Amino acid sequence: MEHGSFGDESVATFSLNEEDHTLANAVRFTLNQDPRVRFCGYSIPHPSDARVNVKVQTTGDPAKEVLKDACQDLMQMCEHIRNTFDKTVGELKASEAVKKKNSHSQEKAMDIDSQESDSESEESESN
Amino acid sequence: MGLKQEEILLSNNSINSNVGEIPIDKQKLAAPIKSALDKYQLVPEFLKVRGLVKQHLDSFNYFVNTGIKKIVCANDMIVSDVDPVFSSGLKMYAAPILVNIEYTQGSRGVKMRAEKNDLVIGRMPIMLRSCCCVLYGKDEAELARLGECPLDPGGYFIIKGTDKVMLIQEQLSKNRIIIDADKKGNINASVTSSSEATKSKTVIQMEKEKIYLLLNQFVKKIPIMVVMKAMGMESDQEVVQMLGRDPRYSALLLPSIEECAGINIYTQEQALQFLEAKLKRSMYADRASEKEGRALSILRVVFLANVPVRSDNFRPKCLYVAVMLRRMMDAILNKDAMDDKAKQVLRCHRSYLFKNSRSLRKHKRLCGEQASGAIWQLISLLFEDLFKTTITEVKRHIDTVLSKPSRSSALDPSLFLRTKEIITGGLERTLSTGNFDIKCFRMHRKGMTQVLARLSFIGTLGYMTKIQPQFEKSRKVSGPRALQPSQCYSLGVEDLELLSGEELHTPNSFLVILNGLILGKHRRPQHFAVALRKLRRAGKVGEFVSVFVNEKQLNKSVVVVYVGVRILVILKHICLRVVGMHIFWKLFDVELYLCADQLCVYIASDGGRVCRPLVIADKGISRIKEHHMKELLDGVRSFDDFLRHGLIEYLDVNEENNALIALYEGEATPDTTHIEIEPFTILGVCAGLIPYPHHNQSPRNTYQCAMGKQAMGNIAYNQLNRMDTLLYLLVHPQRPLLTTRTIELNATVAVMSYSGYDIEDAIVMNKSSLDRGFGRCIVMKRYSGVIQKYDNGASDRILRPQRTGVGSEKMQILDDDGIAAPGEIIRPDDVYINKQSPVITRGSRITSAEPLPDKVALSSDRNENPCIKILIRHTRRPEVGDKFSSRHGQKGVCGTIIQQEDFPFSERGICPDLIMDPHGFPSRMTVGKMIELLGGKAGVSCGRFHYGSAFGEPSGHADKVEAISETLIKHGFSYNGKDFLYSGSAAYALSFSLCPFLGS
Amino acid sequence: MAGQEEERGDTKKKFSIFDLPDVPMGQLPDHLQLHRTRVLCNNDAPIHTESVQYSGAYATVGVDNSLRFDHFRNNFRVEVVRLTEEDMEFDMVGIDAAIANAFRRILIAELPTMAIEKVLIANNTSVVQDEVLAHRLGLIPIGVDPRHFEYLSENDQPNERNTIVFKLHVSCKRGSPRITVKSDELKWLPNGSELVKESTPSDSASKPETYTSFSCSQETIPEFAKNPIAPKYPDIIIAKLGPGQEIELEAHAVKGKGKTHAKWSPVATAWYRMFPEVVLLEEVEDDLAEELKSKCPVDVFDIEDLGKG
Repeated sequence: MEHGSFGDESVATFSLNEEDHTLANAVRFTLNQDPRVRFCGYSIPHPSDARVNVKVQTTGDPAKEVLKDACQDLMQMCEHIRNTFDKTVGELKASEAVKKKNSHSQEKAMDIDSQESDSESEESESN
Repeated sequence: MGLKQEEILLSNNSINSNVGEIPIDKQKLAAPIKSALDKYQLVPEFLKVRGLVKQHLDSFNYFVNTGIKKIVCANDMIVSDVDPVFSSGLKMYAAPILVNIEYTQGSRGVKMRAEKNDLVIGRMPIMLRSCCCVLYGKDEAELARLGECPLDPGGYFIIKGTDKVMLIQEQLSKNRIIIDADKKGNINASVTSSSEATKSKTVIQMEKEKIYLLLNQFVKKIPIMVVMKAMGMESDQEVVQMLGRDPRYSALLLPSIEECAGINIYTQEQALQFLEAKLKRSMYADRASEKEGRALSILRVVFLANVPVRSDNFRPKCLYVAVMLRRMMDAILNKDAMDDKAKQVLRCHRSYLFKNSRSLRKHKRLCGEQASGAIWQLISLLFEDLFKTTITEVKRHIDTVLSKPSRSSALDPSLFLRTKEIITGGLERTLSTGNFDIKCFRMHRKGMTQVLARLSFIGTLGYMTKIQPQFEKSRKVSGPRALQPSQCYSLGVEDLELLSGEELHTPNSFLVILNGLILGKHRRPQHFAVALRKLRRAGKVGEFVSVFVNEKQLNKSVVVVYVGVRILVILKHICLRVVGMHIFWKLFDVELYLCADQLCVYIASDGGRVCRPLVIADKGISRIKEHHMKELLDGVRSFDDFLRHGLIEYLDVNEENNALIALYEGEATPDTTHIEIEPFTILGVCAGLIPYPHHNQSPRNTYQCAMGKQAMGNIAYNQLNRMDTLLYLLVHPQRPLLTTRTIELNATVAVMSYSGYDIEDAIVMNKSSLDRGFGRCIVMKRYSGVIQKYDNGASDRILRPQRTGVGSEKMQILDDDGIAAPGEIIRPDDVYINKQSPVITRGSRITSAEPLPDKVALSSDRNENPCIKILIRHTRRPEVGDKFSSRHGQKGVCGTIIQQEDFPFSERGICPDLIMDPHGFPSRMTVGKMIELLGGKAGVSCGRFHYGSAFGEPSGHADKVEAISETLIKHGFSYNGKDFLYSGSAAYALSFSLCPFLGS
Repeated sequence: MAGQEEERGDTKKKFSIFDLPDVPMGQLPDHLQLHRTRVLCNNDAPIHTESVQYSGAYATVGVDNSLRFDHFRNNFRVEVVRLTEEDMEFDMVGIDAAIANAFRRILIAELPTMAIEKVLIANNTSVVQDEVLAHRLGLIPIGVDPRHFEYLSENDQPNERNTIVFKLHVSCKRGSPRITVKSDELKWLPNGSELVKESTPSDSASKPETYTSFSCSQETIPEFAKNPIAPKYPDIIIAKLGPGQEIELEAHAVKGKGKTHAKWSPVATAWYRMFPEVVLLEEVEDDLAEELKSKCPVDVFDIEDLGKG
């Protein structure tokens, strides 16, 4: 869902349902790192609502696109983190010949990513 | 009335023993202290002997064994006005009160005697654990088999299914002269007299320089000289001599003498005539008094009732009046006394108080005429009233029957005795409502009993030991939240005055006063006191006898009151009396005390004074040596042995003024006469729970005393078998990391501002902690239904539930017997007893979320009607709006519940259970709480329970802040307990926060 | 923004500001650099706690604060410090706290696990109340991969793909000493519930209807054939039974997330912390150095030979 000014594409507030600080804070980070962003921030309007409002103000580009890119960035970042993590853990296991299976942490890392992409896709749908 | 209240003072330890902490504490506390002897073990020993609620039990036992018999014996004749004479004698008294009746019937000159034994005249509610109770004398295993909690102290009544406790009433002690000033500034000397026969209050007032007597029986104030003359002191000279030779006293008396002369009263006869005219009209005209004139009879019986008149010798009464006058004049003359007036009044109250009378000011005049205090006194008054009513009723019946011209059958008075259930109903009603309304003693008092709240074990004990204060809180001397000085021991403020020694001077001569009765005179009061104390320590005199010499006032003039008894005789007399009383009435813990503020030696042996055991010290060295304690630990020596061998003695408030008591052994100087057994025994049950109370602002401690009673926890071992109306239990109770005592809940607490939902003392809670069972509690509620029988023979019945058709959905939880099955989940509107009354069918309904029946009990009520009780259990987790409290009077409601991932966490990954606002600290000044937080944190990191009771720091028992900080540093924390926290929601570090652990 | 993040770790490394991978070409003044890369622990409170995220924050001094993905890709690395079955500690170098915190939050609240949600109590005469018992059972971790299961939504029938059924039937004989019920008493029922629904019309021909409708035994599913499902730890105390007491119940575990209830949280806890750095403001020598070394309870300091400088 998007609300805010309808005339100016560079300013928008996105309301994400069923999300909290987890996604919003990370997206804010990637948004902020984007040079096209003039301002961004998020708020949780009420603690008993599972909802986050993300406000994006750009230097001219459509806010929608910038947010999509930011999510894309985040996804890529997570992808990379996951690969690096898997690699390091794999190497560690191999080198130290750790017999014990480390499914626990791997699992987590994988789920992190799937989760990230889930929320991203959901968010783009809402756009 | 052996209301020994020292149990209250020492209460905290029994809880210790109850929670089973003693073995740990013994080891922990005994080990490191070498220098000062550890007398801690004496406390549990003492409690074994005296118990916490002993005063209730003793009192009730006394009533049942002695008091009730006295009442019945005093009213054992029913004399019918019409013809025969009936008398009844009493046999034994248990729950059913039984009497033997013997009646004599005179008919046609022949006297017939008939006897009937064991007639039930009523049922007496029985105090639990008293000598009539089935639980009396049972040991722990037996109690457990009976399904009773062995830790339950008893001492309360169960009336109509609720626990009722009678409060200890604070009361001005009787038969003592109290100098007071009324609103107009007139000096009063008042005596609340109480003898077995009469209770009265005599006030001597000085108004406009003239002295008057105020007595209820007289319409107006009576000039005091008239009274003296009426008692046979016709010579003014004699009266003046009695007051002392000092011209100042005679000058003060002069206006009164002149006034007396002014109304032309010179002889006893004239005085009596004068008094006769001022008498109030009395409805109960007494035959005996009419013969000799009612005025004299009142002087004899009512005026200063505590001074006995033997063979018409009024001299002791005259002496007593003289002493009262003398005291008043001292107060007027002596500037110190005048300036000290407020204080003196206060002191009088403090030392002379104890129990009774909820509002003295309101009932001041009434109060004088009723004496009631300890439970047995109140109950016996009540019983007496009811008994008299019964007897009147019976008499009326007999008279009606006898006055009938033709009687077909022989009269059987026993038929009338139980006609109206006066006694049973009256006792029950009074105890359950707490409204004492006793007609024949003109006593109307409310709130004498309270429901024994079973919210927590501490609350229960707190109620049992609660003292109903005498004064309303609005009284000037104590602000609304100030502590009552008279309760200093039970609420936890040490009175510094007790520690100041009083210099000894050689006084001229001292009155010896036993229980407010002038016995005689002694020139060397110290010797007298020392001799008495020696006797007491040797066990020859009762252990609660107190001797109090007050020599502050060095007045050269001698009080010229001679009774002419030699000292040895007095001593012998006192001893005889004391020992005699002690043996005769076991319950009257006899005490003597000497006082000489007014050049007197007071010996007190009446009950109801607060006494506490103290270790005797010779020249500052404790009499208890290490080998004594070893013997105690080995079980060779008991607390009684300590008493008997003169190592410990009981002191009451008056005698404490003669003693110099050291708080710790190390502080003792050669002047010290006594040493405290354990300083923390000064605190009461509730106050003893507060860790580091001496670091807190005092009102916070007071609040906590009140709030501690609302805490949840475990109430008794048999808590799951009980059928209480309302019961709260904690699912996972814990022991505080910072021990004082009790079961509570430990929580990881962060003190920080967070999310704005914690303003105004609110608390932010961690949802995951709640998920994991933090603060979960069980609420039990009882519902009951009675299967009533009706007059026409019909009765209620319980039906099988309908399984199909209309209404069946409401009956899903019912078993085939029509009563709810335990364990079924109840939905709103469910029927839990399918009861059918003759007229309409109805079921009881409740509406609340997801409770379930825990137990169903079938029983019968008093009228043999079957009765079904259902205990509904409801487990609930903390929700927004629930109240939480720490042990420092800092309560707060839960403001919001936040997910764990949003909660801040420390560098070690510790996530607090709840967050408190730091703004609650500066204004409340609860430094003790900060220390508790620190101590809890240190306790967790080093795996040891910390100890933090008041007075513990100097004696080395408690953990000091320095030690706690060191522990923290050793485990890698900051010495000040602060931690570096990260925000859980956004990714940044938060400021430092205290992140420790405490009981909530 | 701290250049390095550490997750669940407490190792130490030699570190210098200028080694930071993301320091741009144009240099920032020292104080800004410090502000940007460090949280300073002052005596009263930490400062510079909020990371500077805005890409144009230092535009005026000619420093670009934006993220370049390739730069991140080249510099990010993971170092595992400790790895055991239940415990892991690793450093993540070159990542912002915002991302690290997202991982922490996901670990706690959004990863699904299996946990006991529904308890059917046939008989419970122990002192532990039914609902307390159910709560305790719920908190027992179950050793199974939740990826093999689906969520059980409200309208679903419990089947072999979304429900695990355990049975607990313990009794303490009269006269015997009291026993402790531990989690190893929970027996997996691969064929689903054995309790028969009361309300079903007794149809002798068909199988009686139970509380689950498994189409096949879970044992036939290859993932569980080798690894029978059981509580993760066998020694978790569930209840204590006195003589004559008995517990008979069936526990149904379903898939859920830690957000709903902490019992579905796969971790005991997960946390990150920033990399600690201790800077000595001046040289500490000789006795003072010894003293400093002995003061620290966690042995942060060591003494170097001064000769080398």
